[in-house]
Amino acid sequence: MNENISRLMDGEVEDVEFERCVAELKSAEAMRTWMCYHVIGDHLRGGYGMSPKFSLSLSQALAAEPTVLAPPPRRVTQPATFAWAVAATLAAVTVVGWTAFSMIEVPPTAVARARDAASVRAAQVKPTGDVPAEYLLAHQEYSPAFAIQGGGPYLRAATATAAPDAAPSAEPRQ
Amino acid sequence: MMHTWGAPARRVGARLLVVAAVLASPAVHGQGFAAQWLTRVTQAARSLNYTGTVMVRQGARFDTFRLAHQFENGQESEKLLSLDGPAREIVRSATEVRYYFPDAKIVQIEPRSIRNVFPSLSPEQTANLAQYYEFKLSPGGRVAGRVTEMAVFEPRDGLRYAHRFWADPTTGLLLKSRLVNEKGEVIEEFAFNDVTVNAKIDKDMVKPSWTAVPDDWKVVQAGPGELVMNDTGWTVNKLPPGFIKISEGFRKLAGKRDPAAHLVFSDGLVAISVFVEPFTVTQTQVGLTQTGGLAQYSTRSDAFRVTVVGEAPPATVRQIAQSVSRKTPN
Repeated sequence: MNENISRLMDGEVEDVEFERCVAELKSAEAMRTWMCYHVIGDHLRGGYGMSPKFSLSLSQALAAEPTVLAPPPRRVTQPATFAWAVAATLAAVTVVGWTAFSMIEVPPTAVARARDAASVRAAQVKPTGDVPAEYLLAHQEYSPAFAIQGGGPYLRAATATAAPDAAPSAEPRQ
Repeated sequence: MMHTWGAPARRVGARLLVVAAVLASPAVHGQGFAAQWLTRVTQAARSLNYTGTVMVRQGARFDTFRLAHQFENGQESEKLLSLDGPAREIVRSATEVRYYFPDAKIVQIEPRSIRNVFPSLSPEQTANLAQYYEFKLSPGGRVAGRVTEMAVFEPRDGLRYAHRFWADPTTGLLLKSRLVNEKGEVIEEFAFNDVTVNAKIDKDMVKPSWTAVPDDWKVVQAGPGELVMNDTGWTVNKLPPGFIKISEGFRKLAGKRDPAAHLVFSDGLVAISVFVEPFTVTQTQVGLTQTGGLAQYSTRSDAFRVTVVGEAPPATVRQIAQSVSRKTPN
């Protein structure tokens, strides 16, 4: 459970697990852990701790939330899953963030920082694969930092097109 | 938070920057120094004859190549031969680039020679390089048996990566480079394991292993089409500071039917490409992909698919992708 709380805070929880992880926070013990982790994090970052009443307010807000008992959605395709993961992460951060910040008084700078962190984190969701060859091939010539290498941008193209099927396949004509 | 500067404001900003740099004399020295160093190393990679074994690491992927580079009568010729993984051979001449895939019996021909874009930096790029990266030169230890000098470009904000380069101080040839992310992790690396500079390069060393394409091979004319310079009508509203547009036009992408708008921005060290194409149902993928230090983010904007590719952190690439819009008529 503690691991899930940590992953939730780090934005590493997948959309299918998200509801369950939030449901876990409804227990008093989980809430204490969650609070504790945040206080540790805030102090490590040199920020302010949360107000003493914060965990109480949040657990009340969570208790008021209905528990979702629907089965987790089946994974369809990788891109769709990824898109939803981004959306869910953003939504989660936004909802939790908004709820949290509306209940306590925090300096506006902290809100801005948290919002920046959330937006960066959403972009740090694990990439789904390699950069498609057609974009890489068109882009590669422009980067000064790679023009200075022996072999230059071709080294990248060589690794990008390593798989036989990577010789760009024609898009079906419409 | 990023600010959206209009073009005139940016131009004025750049001029102020130059004035400020002139007033502070050490900055002038540093500013020119970083650009001069880059230009020298770029020229060396082009105009020297060299051969060696090159290691390339992108994220978790690792490849080794045999490299031969010839500069003769003002023309570059180059051959890369993969030593591990699937067999690949890349041969570049003055007029074309050929990618040979013997296992798949495919040769991909790109009828043009690239690496024609970065001869030197504009004064504005030179100024940006100094403003957004801290440049340091120091002794770099040995690489491929040679004593090196190490150049470090440390970003002054979180919107770009750090770059470390090791070069041969005598010839200027780059022997090793590293791209380092905000966590200090090396996400892309290039290094010569052994190298001979000013080597005698025979014609055969930079020629394909096959004099003619074997009959049972498939020939793919698949390079990106030439860029037709033009105003595309697209603009980036949240461009990270220090990036300026270095190219804009339309081109065909490999394997695609419709031409794409292609805008390129550079901060003097890396480039970020913006592609805008009609959104098709056959190509619905959106989101992030990453190959070593190269990140790509695609998003849908009404009837268009916006794709941003560059040597920058995913958050930077994503921010650009999400701020691409049609230029509003004046």
